[in-house]
Amino acid sequence: MAWFTDRNCFLLAVTFYGLSTVYSVFLWRKGFRRDEWVNYFLLAGGVALHTLAMTKRGLTLHSCPVNNLYEATTFLLWALGLASLVYALMPRFKFLTAFTAPVLFTVGIFALMPSLDPPHGPKPEFSGALRSLHAATILQAYGAFGLAAVAAGIFLMQQHDLKFHKIRAVLSLLPSIQRLELITTRLVFVGFTLLTIGLSAGAWLPRHEGVPYFSDTKVIWSALLWLVYLESLVAHQFFGRPARRFAAGVVGAFAFLLLTFWFTNLLSGLHHP
Amino acid sequence: MSVVVIGLSHRSAPVELRERFAFAESNVPTALKQLREAGLITEGVVLSTCNRVEIYAATARAPDDQFFARIKKFFVEHHAYDGELGDELYTFAEPHSLQHLFKVAAGLDSMVIGETEIFGQLKKAYELAFTHKFTGARLNKAFQRAFHVAKHLRTETNIQRGSVSVMSAAVELAEKIFSSLAEHEVLVIGAGETSEKTARALQSRGVKKITVTNRSPERAVALAAELGGRAVPFAQWPEEFERIDIAISSTAATTHILDRATLMPLMKRRSHRPLLLVDIAVPRDIDPAVSELENVYLYNVDDLQAIANDSLRLRQEELAHCEKIIADKVATLLAANHFSAAAARG
Repeated sequence: MAWFTDRNCFLLAVTFYGLSTVYSVFLWRKGFRRDEWVNYFLLAGGVALHTLAMTKRGLTLHSCPVNNLYEATTFLLWALGLASLVYALMPRFKFLTAFTAPVLFTVGIFALMPSLDPPHGPKPEFSGALRSLHAATILQAYGAFGLAAVAAGIFLMQQHDLKFHKIRAVLSLLPSIQRLELITTRLVFVGFTLLTIGLSAGAWLPRHEGVPYFSDTKVIWSALLWLVYLESLVAHQFFGRPARRFAAGVVGAFAFLLLTFWFTNLLSGLHHP
Repeated sequence: MSVVVIGLSHRSAPVELRERFAFAESNVPTALKQLREAGLITEGVVLSTCNRVEIYAATARAPDDQFFARIKKFFVEHHAYDGELGDELYTFAEPHSLQHLFKVAAGLDSMVIGETEIFGQLKKAYELAFTHKFTGARLNKAFQRAFHVAKHLRTETNIQRGSVSVMSAAVELAEKIFSSLAEHEVLVIGAGETSEKTARALQSRGVKKITVTNRSPERAVALAAELGGRAVPFAQWPEEFERIDIAISSTAATTHILDRATLMPLMKRRSHRPLLLVDIAVPRDIDPAVSELENVYLYNVDDLQAIANDSLRLRQEELAHCEKIIADKVATLLAANHFSAAAARG
């Protein structure tokens, strides 16, 4: 059973995400018209294997598996996949899985790069309850932002179809745009709350001698991300920012998060000593 | 014993002939009794709607030309019809009779493909025959399976998807924009027949608050009373925009009554909440430029008709798929032991 490693379990999970992505293309081409469970179960299979992979890694480390880029990325994807499965149980939200699967698959492939998962000793350098809380809540926040971006993406598609009188808007089994807007706002709020808790926990962590804190790339990046989501929420909730611009902002913010997450981590003296 | 069908429908006969052969509900048991006493049928169901008059029967006789000629004779004599009859009256024997029954139940043989009203009418016709003990093992099995297949087709295919009328297209659009129609108010501008029908269609899907405005206030008050809403003077309708989320416009105005410049400040006062504008007037009441505004969804009568036509086209494309499912289900039913046993008992 030497092949039954946590990385191989994750590889299998990514394979399921890939199958789900391929199936999602068919659903997309058919205009999301048929009410069915195939894609849900494909994604659920992937999340189950993903959970197994993380559990195995966690048991090996005796701590929450959020200690290097590979573990952080898989934790983020797991939060996104699981939340997507839960939300997909809501009426007319089954097709959420079709939008989540491509994100899980592409980022999952990236996470499998060996350089993101360097071997560490029996006890990783980032261990400790407060560190685990810091990393886990922030990664769950990213998962919520990811799902918000998925809901916002569906909103933008439906809104465009309704605005330009596409028949797909009427025939698809997707939720109303008002409901999508509500879900997106709630998810951003949940993500923002978790991010605030996670960043606050990080501020209390002991620091290495001589490593700057306020000028650290990751700290600046995290503060920027926090401000971006705060501005989005406040502008939408209190200053009447139109739903389309809010949704586009949520998709853009998550794309920025995904594209700069690893890069800022590598540049950070605090996270990559 | 086998199941046979004889009848006429919108496909084979004009309305003048269909109404001539229609059965009043109170007359159905007598007609079936006469058929049974004549030894022509053992079990029977009469379906009589505005689009079809059909007798579904189980008979121990061979369903040959002579048999159908006798049933046709009964049909004509029962209605005291003295005109000529050609291909208007059609007949089916198994398996086509069962396929026809399944198609009728699923709305595949209806004037508007996939409509659901016929399902209820067929169920009512069956229950009437069942109550008066005109059905037995054979027809009970056939009808129950027909209802089951109709439900299967409704959920598993696109045969009933989409809106095939302008009114239902407007309602469906509203449901794609708003979470629950019960929480949203509708403004009807112009008390015309189409706007009334659209408002009623919205009411049937949960809309509770309706405001009506019209150039002649009496008509506005009358329609508001009919719809259980309230009437406002025509000059005041822009003020309603702060409250409403759906507006249906069908006035006889020759120029636009709502343009971009008028709507822009109103949208600001509404905090940019989504607004569905349904313009069913010809010439149009609403300037198409308003659709450029954020959160405004404008549909005119051509847009709604295009949605209805697309939905109808999709239903037609789905027909062959549904007919194949029906052919398979009928073959399975005919091969089933319990159905053969019911036949043998007869």
